[in-house]
Amino acid sequence: MPWAYIGKRLMVAFLQLLGITVAVFFLIRVLPADPVARLVGFNASDEVYNQAKASLGLDQPVMKQFGLYFGFFPSEQAGLLQGDLGRSWVTNENVLDEIIRFFPVTLELITISFIVATLLALPLGMISAIRPNGVVDRGVFVYGLMAGAQPEFWWGLLFIYVFFVLLGWAPAPLGQLGALTEAPETVTGFLTVDSLIAGNWGVFLEALAHLWLPVMTLVLILSGPIIKMIRQNMLRVLESDFILYASSAGLPSRTIAAYTFRAAFAPALTLVGILYGFMLGGAVLVEKVFSLGGLGQYSIRSILQFDYPAIQGVVLVITAFSLLIYLALDVFHAWMDPRIRT
Amino acid sequence: MRKVIVLLVAVALFAAACGDDEQEAATTTTAAPAPETTAAAVPETTAAPTTTAEAAPEPVQLTVLAEDIPSGLDYDGPSAAIPTSQTGMVNLQENLVYYKSAGANSEGVGLLDFGFSDEHFEGRLAESWSFDEASLTWTFNLREGVVGCDGATFDADDVLYTFARAKSVSGAAPIGWFLSNVGSIDGFTVDVFADPAAQALGDTITKVDDHTVTIRQAAPNKLFLPVLTIFGLAIFDKETMEANATDEDPWSHDYANNVNLPSFGPYCLESWEKDSQFVVAANPDYYRGAPAIDRIVYRKVPETSNRLAAILSGDAQLVERLTPREFDSLSGNADVTVAGVQGNDNLFVHMNFATPPFDNLSVRKAVAHAINYDEIIRVGYFGNATKWEGQIPSSYPGYHRSDIQYDYDPDRARELLAEAGYTDDGAILLSYVAEKEAILGPIATLIQADLAAVGMNVQLDPLPQTQYGDRQLVKKDLQFALNDQEKPIGVDAGYATLLFFVSTEAGGLNNMVNFTSPEVDGLFGQLVNEADEAARNAMLAEVQDILADQVTWLPVVERTTQWAFSSSISGLVWHPDNSVRWYDLSVG
Repeated sequence: MPWAYIGKRLMVAFLQLLGITVAVFFLIRVLPADPVARLVGFNASDEVYNQAKASLGLDQPVMKQFGLYFGFFPSEQAGLLQGDLGRSWVTNENVLDEIIRFFPVTLELITISFIVATLLALPLGMISAIRPNGVVDRGVFVYGLMAGAQPEFWWGLLFIYVFFVLLGWAPAPLGQLGALTEAPETVTGFLTVDSLIAGNWGVFLEALAHLWLPVMTLVLILSGPIIKMIRQNMLRVLESDFILYASSAGLPSRTIAAYTFRAAFAPALTLVGILYGFMLGGAVLVEKVFSLGGLGQYSIRSILQFDYPAIQGVVLVITAFSLLIYLALDVFHAWMDPRIRT
Repeated sequence: MRKVIVLLVAVALFAAACGDDEQEAATTTTAAPAPETTAAAVPETTAAPTTTAEAAPEPVQLTVLAEDIPSGLDYDGPSAAIPTSQTGMVNLQENLVYYKSAGANSEGVGLLDFGFSDEHFEGRLAESWSFDEASLTWTFNLREGVVGCDGATFDADDVLYTFARAKSVSGAAPIGWFLSNVGSIDGFTVDVFADPAAQALGDTITKVDDHTVTIRQAAPNKLFLPVLTIFGLAIFDKETMEANATDEDPWSHDYANNVNLPSFGPYCLESWEKDSQFVVAANPDYYRGAPAIDRIVYRKVPETSNRLAAILSGDAQLVERLTPREFDSLSGNADVTVAGVQGNDNLFVHMNFATPPFDNLSVRKAVAHAINYDEIIRVGYFGNATKWEGQIPSSYPGYHRSDIQYDYDPDRARELLAEAGYTDDGAILLSYVAEKEAILGPIATLIQADLAAVGMNVQLDPLPQTQYGDRQLVKKDLQFALNDQEKPIGVDAGYATLLFFVSTEAGGLNNMVNFTSPEVDGLFGQLVNEADEAARNAMLAEVQDILADQVTWLPVVERTTQWAFSSSISGLVWHPDNSVRWYDLSVG
C-alpha cells in the first residue's frame, strides 16, 4: 500500500475541506436574505424579530459567530472542533442527527443506481467497441441522444405517468414505503438492508417496489456517459500497440480481453467515482419527484430557508464524502499505475 | 463465456470500489437515533378506510398529503410560521375557547362565527367565563375531567404554565407573548425583553382554585377572546412538559419542538419522521368525544402533480395546496371532491410609497385601472377567485366595502399616467416569490402585459422566498410586487390594520409599503380602547376608506382556499390559519 501517498492526499483533502468550510461560512452570510424574517413570519413585532435574531446568534459579530461555529469558545457553545455541527434553525434538531437520517436515503438510491448503471453500461460499451456500427452501437448512440435530451425530473415525471398512472405497475410516488407500512427498526438507515436485518421480506420487497422507478430514472441518465466512456476507452485500447502485439503473439483471446478490460475500465471507474460524488447532492430532483427524503431534498430545504447551520453541515459532509471518494480513486490509480505515486 | 468473465470482473472491481463508501455510511448511521417518536400506542392499521375486518371494525385511517410535514411543534419555536407545522400543532393541542360553528357554504365547507363578543365563542378547555368591566378581569371556569395523551388531567396549573412560558420569551420566536400583547393582557409588554424581572407571571393571571383562573387586561381590547383561539396560545400539559425540562431548557422548547407537543387535543402523536411522515392516533379520552378518524398519516409529497396522482389513484384521501389548474382538472371526478371557501387567501399588488414612481397617487391609481382583473381570475385561478374589493379579508369582522373602487379601464389609466407626468425611465421590477412560479408566474405575465398596454415598462423579478421576506419585512424596499401570502392570524379588521397599515412609528408590524397616515394611526389608537362594537366598526370603515382612496395596497382577488378529498369524507371546516382540523372529518 502506498501509505506515504495516502498520507499526503489526506493532508491535501483536509486543507480542501477546511477551505471550503470557511468559504461557505462567509459566503452564505453575504447573500441578500434574512433567515430571521422566515423564522418569525410576517405577523411579528420588532421585539419578536430581535428576540429571534438573538436566538440564532445573528446579533453577534460575524467573527464571533465564526469562532462559535468552529468551537473556539467551547464554554459558550460546542462547535466543529467538538464534533458539533449546530442545530437547524428550522427544526431545532441537531444537524448531524438530521444528516445521519437523510444521508442513507440518498446513498441507497444512488448506490443501487450506479450498480445497475455500471452493470448495464459495461457489456453495452464493450459490445459497441468490439462491433462499431453494429446494432448495439447504433442503439447506444440513439439512447445516448435520447437520455441526454431531457433532465432527470422530466424522465421521472414521465415514468410516474406511464408506470403508475397509466399501467399501475409502480406504487404511488409517495416516498420509500406505502403509508400503511411500518418501517423496520433503523440499524443502518438503508431501508433495504434494515428490512433484511429485521427479516421482513414484505417491507424489503415494498422498498424495492418504491425504488425501481427512481433507480430507473437515474440509470437512464447515468449510464449514457458511462457507456460512452467504456466504448471510447475500449476502442483506444484495442488499437494500442500492446494489444496488437498480444494478438500477433498469439495469446488466447480471453487473456487479451482481460488486458483490454483492465486498461479500459480504470478511466470509466474514475468517471463513476466523480459522478457518484456529484450525485450525493445532484439527485435532488429525482428525490423531489419521488418524495424521497434524502440529502438532496434536505440541502434544498436548508438553502431555501437560509438555515445556515444545516447548509454548512450539508456542504461539509458532501465535501468530506466526495474527497474520500476521490482519495479512493487516487489510491486505486496509484495501485494500478506506480508512475502516479511519484 | 468470455463476456461473462469480463462482466464478473467488472462487478467485482466496482464492488471493491464501493465497499469503503458503504462501510463508512453504515458506521455513521448505526449511531443515529431512531427517527420515530412513539407517544401513544394504537392498534396497528393495515387496511384502507373502507375495508372491514371479520371480528371488529378496522380502524379508520386517512392519508393526507401536503408539500411538507411539521418541522417542529413548539409555537414559540422556529417552525411556528410554517403552515404545515401549524397543522401539526392545531391537531395535537387545545385552546381555552374557540369560535362557534356558523353552518357550511354551498360547497359543504364548514364556516366559523367570527366576532368579538361572547356569543361568537364556545368553551373548549374553559367551560364558561365572565368579564368584569371595572377591573378588566376575565374569570374562566375550566372544564373538569379532561385527560391529555400522556394521562395528565387538565387544571388551572396548565393555564398558568402556558402563560408563564409565553411571558418568559424563552423561545426562538415568542409568539405566545406576541398574541398576549396583541390581546392587551396586563404585563405582556415589551419590558419583558429588557428586564428579566418583568418575565415573571405576576398577579395578572391567577389561579383561584384548581378549575378557575383569572386573566386581567390592561385595556378593554376586543381582541382578547380572538387571540385565545389562535394556535399560539393553546394550552400545554404542564406535567409532561415539566417532566421533559432540563436545566438548559426549563420551558421544554426542545422537547415541544422535536419530540412531542403535550396538550389536551383530539390526536396524540404516534410517530414523527421529520421531512417524511407525521402520524397521529385518536385520543380516546378526548373530552369532546373520540375522533371519527382513528389514525392520520400526514405525509410529505413535494410535487403537486404527485399529490394529484395519489388522490386520483386512491392512495391518499385528502390533499392540500394543489395548483389552481390541478384543482380544476379534478372537477367532474366522481371519486374526488374539490371544495373550497373564500377565507383569507388573497392576492394584491404592493406599491412602495417610498419609491418612485409609486410615491405618486396618480400612478398607483393608474396601475389599479390598468389591470384586467377578470382575466387574472379566469387564467390565473380558473374562476376560483373573485375581485377583492377591500384591503381586509371580506370574511373578517370589521370588513367594509368602500365606495372607492378601481375597475379595469386602460383609458383612465393612461389619463392618470399623463396627469402624473409619468415617463418611462427604465423597466420597473415586478417581484414575486420564485417558489410560487407555477401560480404567480402567469399572473405576473398578465399584469406585465396590461401595464405595457398603458405605457408602463415592467420586468418580472422572481425572488427566493427568504430574499423576498427580507426585503418585504426588514428592508421594506420592494418597489413593486405581487403578494399572495398575507393572512392576518387575528380574525379582525383592526388586527389587520395594526399589522399592515399603521405606521412603523406608531407600532405597525409589517407596513411593507411604507404607508404613513396620521389619520389611520389616530383611529387605530382609539380602536384599542373602544369597547362598543358598532363604534369600533365605524372607525374601521373610516380606515378602510382612507386605504382605498390612497391605494395603499392594490387588492386584486380573493382566491378560494381549496382542498381535494375522497368523496366519502365529509365535515371539513375552514379555520383562519388554513390548517385542517382532522377532528372535523368523518368517513362514510
